[in-house]
Amino acid sequence: MKVSRRDLLLGTAGLTAGIFFTPVPWKVLDDVSIWTQNWPWIPQPPRGPVATKLASCTLCSSGCAIRVRMAAGFPVGISGAAFHPLTKGALCPLGFATHQLNWHPARLREVRHRGRTASWDEARAAFEKAASEGPIAIIDGRSGRATSTVLQSFAAKHNGSYEVALSAEEKSLSPYAQWSGTPVSSLGYDLENARSIVSFGAPLLDGWGIPGRFTHLWSERAAGKSDPQSRLIQIEPALSRTAAAAWRWVPICQGTEALLAASLARVLLDERLVPVQGPVPQGSLTDAARQTGMTPTAIRELAYTMAERRPTLVIGADENPAIAALNVLLGSLGTPGGIVKKSVHPSPAPPSRVLDKPLRAALIDSTVPWDYVPSSGAEVFRFAAWDGGGNRADWLLPTPGFLEESTDLPTPPTSAVAVYGISPNLLTASAPVKTAAEFLQQVDSTLPTVDQTIHARCKEIFRARRGSVHSEKQSPVASFESAAKLEEALRSGGVWLDEWTPAFPLKCSLKEWPTDNPTHSPLNWASAWVPPVMPTLAAKLYRESSLREPPQRSQS
Amino acid sequence: MKRDLLVFVVGVALALAAGWVVFPRVLYSHRSQPVDFLHKTHAEKSGTADCESCHAFNSDGSFAGLPQNDTCAGCHADKLGTSPAEAKLVDAYLKTQTSTPWLVYSRQPANVWFSHAIHVKRAGLACGDCHGTLGASDEKRLYEQDRISGYSRDIWGHSISRVRRAPHDGRTMSDCEDCHHKRHVEVGCFGCHQ
Repeated sequence: MKVSRRDLLLGTAGLTAGIFFTPVPWKVLDDVSIWTQNWPWIPQPPRGPVATKLASCTLCSSGCAIRVRMAAGFPVGISGAAFHPLTKGALCPLGFATHQLNWHPARLREVRHRGRTASWDEARAAFEKAASEGPIAIIDGRSGRATSTVLQSFAAKHNGSYEVALSAEEKSLSPYAQWSGTPVSSLGYDLENARSIVSFGAPLLDGWGIPGRFTHLWSERAAGKSDPQSRLIQIEPALSRTAAAAWRWVPICQGTEALLAASLARVLLDERLVPVQGPVPQGSLTDAARQTGMTPTAIRELAYTMAERRPTLVIGADENPAIAALNVLLGSLGTPGGIVKKSVHPSPAPPSRVLDKPLRAALIDSTVPWDYVPSSGAEVFRFAAWDGGGNRADWLLPTPGFLEESTDLPTPPTSAVAVYGISPNLLTASAPVKTAAEFLQQVDSTLPTVDQTIHARCKEIFRARRGSVHSEKQSPVASFESAAKLEEALRSGGVWLDEWTPAFPLKCSLKEWPTDNPTHSPLNWASAWVPPVMPTLAAKLYRESSLREPPQRSQS
Repeated sequence: MKRDLLVFVVGVALALAAGWVVFPRVLYSHRSQPVDFLHKTHAEKSGTADCESCHAFNSDGSFAGLPQNDTCAGCHADKLGTSPAEAKLVDAYLKTQTSTPWLVYSRQPANVWFSHAIHVKRAGLACGDCHGTLGASDEKRLYEQDRISGYSRDIWGHSISRVRRAPHDGRTMSDCEDCHHKRHVEVGCFGCHQ
């Protein structure tokens, strides 16, 4: 039988048609997709004993308690720990994947000097030379840590300045710090006791402050209720997710927040809605209404609503003294449900010390966000675990990645109660890295070490005998035999929470109504920096997924 | 016309034969276990009928998985019989203190977190619900590995068509999801892919 070209074509057509009635295409497709996930250059955790350890997330100043699942000594999974008194098991989406950041392609593994590879010795020699030639600045992104003490000590001993790059939440507290003389790190928002919260664009449900704190509060007291226990009034030009979920959204024109705050103050004072007296802002209600896009009646109603159910807490998105002044008028300073002063345990963050002369060099700690760019001609020594690209630093100095450094976690900026934790180093760094504190200790061996400061703080907490350590179980500080035992509990992932004190006195007085333009020294880089706000995706992922650990699970 | 149809049908038949018969044989490579292990014989001779005697849980509740050499050495520190398998175990692994490289039929890939403790202790599943009668037989099974994905054949299931012979046949993600749906237990993506 002769096989023709037609036969071949028909046979091939039959084979092609028939193959789709076999598992070949589907199984091969499935296998190839799996094969692409297992290429040899994709890091794979080694097989080995699996253990779960408690630690704290060090990505930001919130210090969320985490459970780290370790396989053969490597972290392979992270979840929130519900025992944390502030976060209650919540984590931001980045926190869930933090352990993978150590494998990020942009991870810094070597010292770089203007694009070329250098050594630690070269970096130290350059820093020592710069420090001997002129004044230096040490920029810290998270004050109050044991590392911060080392940084500040170095600056003080070497005639340098110590500056703190404040987060958006800390900046919103800075007017009260300026008026009362209390450090920003000692101030906090008592959200739990506030009955009305007026937010001027602060993304309360979009990653503001400590993950889970306001979200929990809002879901318990306000979500889905027409007359909630806690009212959230969101004043914002756009219908953000926070605005959409708020009890009331007040849309205003962009950039008129300070003007609206002044108008509200005027109504509060003129119509005697608040018991205190204060400076009356300039301008008429009609003008303010025209500029803000509201009506005079709406502004008056808003003022009445703010005064109706107190305590009322006003929160700004950033440093805006006109917004902060509303809390002074409403009597929300140093009272439950307002701006509160925390206890001083452990030691509060050191104050900034800013020099008023040009700098020779600046050392930037790894906690300072990457997009913070110095605006002077000083030689910059930038510590970072990851290279964010496009940086103007002269020296890029690799620091330990996630869980590769033992560090302490002082009270988060917005917390109303003092908190202290220690995150242990569960991993050994795979590259020659140094923290800024270790670097400075090599330059000046007389500086205190991080561990010494942590020991001292644990002793301080132990001596005060206040509060309790939250871990798998809650233990009062008084139940610990020694400061060493207390430190051991904290190093094992426990979190110390101070006792709730109704309110420490906090006095602020306004001589004149503040403007909305805070002035900064051009030499103080940190205060002029505008910090970014966490993207809305963070809160979206948190709310719409079951990533967080429900509280009852930890109790079982 | 008749010839054309015949040629087309022959093509289809060849494709079906290749896809259903030849393809599974080519797709999987076959390997023997490093030591022939007889589950049923061990259970009978040691008098331990429960799986947890060897596949124990740690004190913290986590699953220890395969028994370590110490467990085997509890009986086989020296040779008890004359079987070549025992001789290999003792000489090649126990005396040299080398871990026995068992080939695990049901090993999940690295991107899956599976907790035996949750499924056995909390959900109350029996070992056989997932592992079938493996522990009650003396079958010397070959380890079949998918040449493309590298996974054990037990993950896909014995049948290339994924038509299950038994409830425990197959351990892909959809098998996990089916079981969870049946038991009304919700697990999000991060429940397993943490």
